[in-house]
Amino acid sequence: MELVREGEPDAFEVIFDRHGDAAFSLAYRMCGTRGGAEDVVQEAFLSLWRSGARYERVRGSVRSWILSVVRNRAIDAFRHEAVKQGQDVSDEGVAERVPSRDVTDAEVERRDDARTVRTALFELPRDQRRVIELAYFGGFTHAEIAEMLELPAGTVKGRMRLALTKLRLSLSAAGHVG
Amino acid sequence: MTEGADMSGTHDCGGDAAAYVLGALEPSETEAFRKHLDGCAVCRDEVAALRGVVQALPMAAPSHSASPQLRRRVMQAVREEPNARTARRRWPRVAGRWSGARIALAAATAAAAVIAVLAVSLSGGGAAERLIPARVAGIAGSAQLRVAGGRGELIVRRLSPPPRGKVYEVWLKAGGAPPTPASVLFSVNSHGSADVGLPDSLRGVSQVMVTAEPSGGSKVPTESPVIVASLT
Repeated sequence: MELVREGEPDAFEVIFDRHGDAAFSLAYRMCGTRGGAEDVVQEAFLSLWRSGARYERVRGSVRSWILSVVRNRAIDAFRHEAVKQGQDVSDEGVAERVPSRDVTDAEVERRDDARTVRTALFELPRDQRRVIELAYFGGFTHAEIAEMLELPAGTVKGRMRLALTKLRLSLSAAGHVG
Repeated sequence: MTEGADMSGTHDCGGDAAAYVLGALEPSETEAFRKHLDGCAVCRDEVAALRGVVQALPMAAPSHSASPQLRRRVMQAVREEPNARTARRRWPRVAGRWSGARIALAAATAAAAVIAVLAVSLSGGGAAERLIPARVAGIAGSAQLRVAGGRGELIVRRLSPPPRGKVYEVWLKAGGAPPTPASVLFSVNSHGSADVGLPDSLRGVSQVMVTAEPSGGSKVPTESPVIVASLT
């Protein structure tokens, strides 16, 4: 990261190679189109580059930090460019799956982690999973979700809380979160 | 227990922690909850506990590979554009262009030290430094303008972050003329702090102002200023 801060494009290329697929996967899940996702990822990585990669270790892993930038970019795109179509796609609705290039040990481990998180999410009651997906992958606020689902805002916030608490228990049991 | 009620039954601050870590509160609620966190250890603990869960959520997205074309596009743009550190080294060249505003956003904090050095060197090294308190309106925080050798540095502390999708933009106002962009966009760190170097001379400038503008900045202010520093 220090080399990235120093403005070394080669070092930044390593960052992209390490986290580009995860960034694209998140963007694709949120945008629902390959073109939209690529625009989001490009903007996100360029903003990271322009900022000199001001990563703060206390905020979590580099990957979490990058993905939070990607998510914010996607939400900006939803809100400012009115590209909301496709953002609430289900996993089944996403086409154009591309096989990964090289499957390293780290990648295998990452896929196992991903499977665990997906399983935990899908084991939630449907109404709780729905608010998490709308909030996290759709970028909607609790008030927007309440309006969309015709529920009181307090109920939406309550479902968010119950869902995250259950997810935490599931992921803790699997050793993913503390 | 009803949905939204506290699981322990002894503490309920409205159940905003989960919505907060999901980024699902409205901007005003986010700000209010951040203030609430300062004084509520229970909510701080809940936020800390749930944050790790939210950080794991991206893994639930189906796995895809970024295309080689995307990689090429990103790296081509990276090689063509200086980042904050290299922009600082090239400051005199990029600072005068409006397109430099996006770079200045990133470079603002890093450039502050350079501006300070410039200010001293331009003034012969001995110019008096003025610290001008700035008025902050409608948001939390404090601000002051440090002026030396005709150059300025805006220093903000505990300032509310700009609303989602917006950045702070700096404007220079001379007499009765409309404000002109200072080619500087900035945000604040997690403590609400930023030291923002202003690239242009402040000679003839009567006010330095800050407004919240859409990402990328505006050519004219679209909102009332949240910070005003008067030099006269």
